[in-house]
Amino acid sequence: MRISSKAVSSISIIIILILAILAGVILKMKTTSIRLPETIGSWTRPDSPQIVTSSNIFDYMNGAGELYIGYRFDHLEVYEYASDSQDDILVELYFMDTSDDAFGLLSLDWGGDPVVLSPSSADRTTGSKDQFSRALYGEGLLRIWSDELYARVMAYRETPEAKEAVLTIGRAIAANQRNLPGPEILESLSPVIDSEWRLRRDRTRFFRSYLVLNSIYYVSPENILDLKLSVDAITAPYEKTNDSGDRKRARFILVRYIDPESAQRALTHFHEAFLPEYKVGSRMDSATQDIHVFDVEGGWLGYRLHGSHLAIVFDCPDQESARKIIHQNILNIKEKEESNER
Amino acid sequence: MKDEKKKLTRRDFIRGTVGATLGASLVGINWSKAKGAAAESSLVTIVRDKNAMDAAKNVDTGILKNMVDQTLIKFTGKNSVKDAWLSLVKPNDMIGLVPTPHLNPTHEELVTAVKNSLIDSGIPEENITNAQGGPDKPKACTALIGLPALKAHWLTGIGTVLKLYILYSGSPRSYHEQNNSKLGEIWNLPFVKGKTRLVLVDALHPLCDKGPQPDPRYKWAYNGLIAGTDPVAVETVCLKIIMNKREAMRGEPWPISPPPLCLEAADKEYGLGTSQIENIKIEHYGWDEDLLL
Repeated sequence: MRISSKAVSSISIIIILILAILAGVILKMKTTSIRLPETIGSWTRPDSPQIVTSSNIFDYMNGAGELYIGYRFDHLEVYEYASDSQDDILVELYFMDTSDDAFGLLSLDWGGDPVVLSPSSADRTTGSKDQFSRALYGEGLLRIWSDELYARVMAYRETPEAKEAVLTIGRAIAANQRNLPGPEILESLSPVIDSEWRLRRDRTRFFRSYLVLNSIYYVSPENILDLKLSVDAITAPYEKTNDSGDRKRARFILVRYIDPESAQRALTHFHEAFLPEYKVGSRMDSATQDIHVFDVEGGWLGYRLHGSHLAIVFDCPDQESARKIIHQNILNIKEKEESNER
Repeated sequence: MKDEKKKLTRRDFIRGTVGATLGASLVGINWSKAKGAAAESSLVTIVRDKNAMDAAKNVDTGILKNMVDQTLIKFTGKNSVKDAWLSLVKPNDMIGLVPTPHLNPTHEELVTAVKNSLIDSGIPEENITNAQGGPDKPKACTALIGLPALKAHWLTGIGTVLKLYILYSGSPRSYHEQNNSKLGEIWNLPFVKGKTRLVLVDALHPLCDKGPQPDPRYKWAYNGLIAGTDPVAVETVCLKIIMNKREAMRGEPWPISPPPLCLEAADKEYGLGTSQIENIKIEHYGWDEDLLL
C-alpha cells in the first residue's frame, strides 16, 4: 500500500505536534535534584526513572491516581532496584508543587516508626509548636515528606538487608532538601478545648480534595464543600474521655478558601446539601459571629464562617461542645490574624 | 437554575436511607445476626489453611492446590474436582481467567493452580486464557472465572470483586470518583453478562487499608480462598472480613471510608446478587483462627 506524500506530511505534522507537547510537559516539570545511589548492597537501580505525569498516572496506578492529583501534583519518578538474591525495592518520588502537599500525603497516615533521615530534620518539627514526623517506616515501607517531595520506598519483602537499603535510599532522598514548616493552617488548630476535649494530633490530616476527605471522614459522594486545589483544609478528631472511660469523639474540619466570597458560597452549598430541612439563614455570614448548631443524626453539628475560613464540627454529644470547639478554633485564627497585623 | 435534586450525605447512611451493609461499613451499625437462614440465600465458601504461606509469605503450591480442590468440591457439592468444574463450565467453553493485574495482584500461584485444575479436569489448555484487559478479552470467552485479590480501596471502600472487570468497560476512568457506584453495570454489558461461572477470591495475603497501593503494614496472612457465584455476596463477605480486621488491628471501630456504594448499587440497581448478609449462607472449612466473620 502506498502512502501519499500529503498523508506523510500530515502524519509528520502530527508527530511534531505530539513531540512539542511532550517537550512542553517535560520542560514544565520540576527538574529532579534527587541523586539516588546506583547500587546498594546487592540492589541496582536503572539509569533513568519511569516518568509519570497527571496525564498518564492512571496507567501507572489505576484507582490510586486521584489521591495524588487531589493535591498539587507535578510528576512522579519511579525506580525499581533489582537484586539477584532479594526481592525488588520500589522507589516512588512524588514531586509536588508545595511542601504543604507533600506534608498532606504523609499526613494521611502517621503510623509507623519515626525515622530521622538527615541531621537538619533531627528536630522533626514543622517549625511550629506542633510536631510531626518527616519520615515514617513500617514493615518495609518508608514514607517521607521532604521539602516539596513525598516519597515511598518499599521493599517488596522486608529483610534486615532490605530495611537497611530502604533507609539508605531514604537518606539519599532527604539529603540537601529543605525542611520547610508544615501548612500554616495547622497553627489554627487548638490542641485542647476547655481542658476536656483533646485534639488527636496523630490523626490530623491536610487535604484539598473531597475524595481525600471522604477517605478520612465521609461527608457526601458529591463535593458539597467546594473543595479544590486552591483551598487549604485540615481535619482531626477531638476526643473526650469521662471518668468511667467512656470516650466521645467529635470530627473537626477547617477549610481556608481563596477569599471570603468563596467561603460563603461553599457554606451555602454545604448547608443546602447537608441540612436541607433547615432554611438557609439570611444572617449565615461571618459578620454575625454566630456559631450555628444543629441536632442531626450522629450528634450535634456546628459551623461558623470567619472571613475565608469555614469551621465545621460533626458528631458532638451536645450543642455546648460543638460551640466550644468551633469558638476556640476561630479564636485561634483571630489571634493569629491580629498578630500578623501587628 | 438551582439544582433541587437531593444530595446523598453522611446523614443518609446513619439514618439507614441507604442499605444496612453500607451503614455497617461507615458508622458501625450492627450487621444482621442472621446467617444462612434465608431460603434463597447465596452460598459463599471460605477455605483456609494456616500453612498456605510460610513466614516469608511464600505460597505453598501443594497446599494451595488442595485448597482450590476443596473449594470446588464444597461449593458445588460434587464428589470430585472434575465433576465440580463440569457443573460450572462446559468442556468446550473458552474460559477466561481474570486475576487482579497489579497493585496487590492475585498470586500467580493461584492462577496457575486454577488453570492446572481445569486442565486436569479435561478442559483443553488452549481453551483457557488470561482474560484480564480490554473488552476484547471477555468477547473472546464463553465463560469467566474471576480471581480477584482481596483489598480495601481508598476511593471505593473495597476494590475486589466488582472492580475486577473495570477494564472491560473500555473507559475505566469513567468509573472513577463518584461514578464508582456504577461499577456493577460493567457486569451487565452484553459481552460480560452471564459469563461469570465462579468468583474465587485470593484472600491469602489481603490488604485492609490504603489500597490499591500496597502498604505492608495493612497486609496480613489470612491464608484463605473465598468462593461463590454471586459476585455481590462474595464482595459483601470480603467487606465484612476487611472491616473486622480493621477493628481488630486498631482495637476500636475503624469504619471503611468511603462506604462501598458500588456494592449496594450492584444489588439494588444492577441485580447482580445480594448485599444483605442475612441472605448469604457462609460455609467455612479449615483453619478457623481469626476467621473475622
